[in-house]
Amino acid sequence: MMREYGNPWAHRAKWLYLIFVVVALMSPVLHTVTISFNEHGFGAADYDFTLVYYFDLFRNEEILAALGWTFWLAFVVVVVTLPMGILSAKFYQTTRWKVPFLLLMLAPLFIPADIMAAALLVYFKTLSRFFSDTFGLEWFDLSMTTAVIGQVLWCLPYVFVVVLVTMARYHAEQTEAARICGATAWRAFWDVEFPQIKAGVFSATAFTVILSFNEYTRTNFLKGGFETFPTYIVSYMLNTGMTPETYAMSGLVSMTSIVIVGAVLLLALRKEQA
Amino acid sequence: MSQPTTTGGRRQPASSPLSDLLTGERGLGRYAFYLPLAFLIAFFVVPMLLTLVWSVFERTNFWMEPGFTFGAYADFFGSARFENFLRAMKSSAISVLVAFVLGFPIAVFVRSSVPEKAQHKAILLFILPFMISEVIRIFALRPILGRHGVLNDALIGSGLIDDPISIFIYTPTGVVIGEVMSYLPFMVFCGFLAMESVPRYIFEVCDDLGSDTLTTLRRVIVPLAAPGILAATIFIFINGIGVFLIPDILGGPGAVNAGTLVLNAISALDFPLAMAIAAIMLVILMALLLIGHWLFDLTKLLDPAKR
Repeated sequence: MMREYGNPWAHRAKWLYLIFVVVALMSPVLHTVTISFNEHGFGAADYDFTLVYYFDLFRNEEILAALGWTFWLAFVVVVVTLPMGILSAKFYQTTRWKVPFLLLMLAPLFIPADIMAAALLVYFKTLSRFFSDTFGLEWFDLSMTTAVIGQVLWCLPYVFVVVLVTMARYHAEQTEAARICGATAWRAFWDVEFPQIKAGVFSATAFTVILSFNEYTRTNFLKGGFETFPTYIVSYMLNTGMTPETYAMSGLVSMTSIVIVGAVLLLALRKEQA
Repeated sequence: MSQPTTTGGRRQPASSPLSDLLTGERGLGRYAFYLPLAFLIAFFVVPMLLTLVWSVFERTNFWMEPGFTFGAYADFFGSARFENFLRAMKSSAISVLVAFVLGFPIAVFVRSSVPEKAQHKAILLFILPFMISEVIRIFALRPILGRHGVLNDALIGSGLIDDPISIFIYTPTGVVIGEVMSYLPFMVFCGFLAMESVPRYIFEVCDDLGSDTLTTLRRVIVPLAAPGILAATIFIFINGIGVFLIPDILGGPGAVNAGTLVLNAISALDFPLAMAIAAIMLVILMALLLIGHWLFDLTKLLDPAKR
């Protein structure tokens, strides 16, 4: 394989292939975004740039309500997942059972969304029956709470990995030094360690927002009586197929994700160079 | 957190009873580290294991009651569901193969020929498609793959074909295309993760010893990267069988996989059947992971010390 130094074209061809695969994977989304700005919609011979479908979206009350729920859900999921991710990374560093704990943390990624959501649905139904029959409580009825639990299970592994990777670069001696100087464990973490892992926590936050914002299957199973943006889009698409409105909705979701990921990557790259 | 403790300067130890209770040496804070573990056990391990129990419950009209019956399993294995399940396994296996052929060389290339500093950045490119809503990505394939879609237009425009090809979508091929488009990044990630433990001089050694690229791949690289390949294989295979969105959106009328079966069982309020299928998926996943672990020690991937 070192032969490619003698033959730069082979090297370039491989780079080209790599870029090609990334572009190919992105192409459906890029295509959708392009069409969403076309006044004539899909398959038209002419292309006239317009934002009219986007303005329509923001006049639709149902969509606004769904967007509101989506952001509120994402906010709660971030607030719950971030501390849990940091705690689990800390737990991983101190536990003797590293590999089993790691496997447990990553396992939710391996189970298909609908299988896990179905199991959780039946679990919550059982719990909710139990609490209402025994105590008359409305715990674990399908609601915001159950949707949050489902999404946290989905986001936690990512936060855990990102935070863990950042923490690995931190030198634990600094915490020891802080503790010897009389800082409590909390102050040592908050004043010494946290500023150094902030970048990782920041990207973990961004990823959680995106994952929660885009999550469909679990939310659809576990949500109470509300629609999030993805569940709204899917029911709309399944009912009416691809219309200019669905293109605009897809465009909105995709561009939000692209902007967030792009910002995180740019910040990370700039930090690395600084 | 309590405010007053910080007023005397940051270096002063906290001392109010409340902050002691929360963050003190013997406070409740110690137990906070067990919170994620408790959460995962309560809302992940227990529900997943309970699927095994629920799957043998008796079905009632709207719910189920404790009992011991293999009715749900008989229902699954004795009907067309099982054939559909096997077909989903086959198409999923094809997707794994295609993803390997298309994706693994990228991981090898990045590891062998990209400067060490730029490697992670090159791999990060594959996060981009993965960060966009799965639903949108799959739906967006419809206007690409259809009879009058972009792909057919391009093929006709380039003179390769005369009539539009209709096997790209609403067919088993469509499902495979959707799965490869969705899960290819995992092959790249896991392949690269495993390749990281392969020292770069290996490529030079193989080259110096006169082995050609294919032999190097087959005899040296693939065995060394086997844990990563296997992890990606299990992931793609299980999700290919389990995720209902892809056959639902890209498959034809008959396209069914385990996810669709679970969904249908739940809409029919047949909870034991849904749980039986979930339990079967869980068992298959565990079996694959155990076999993989037995063959290659998958923990090598996770534990840098073992590399």
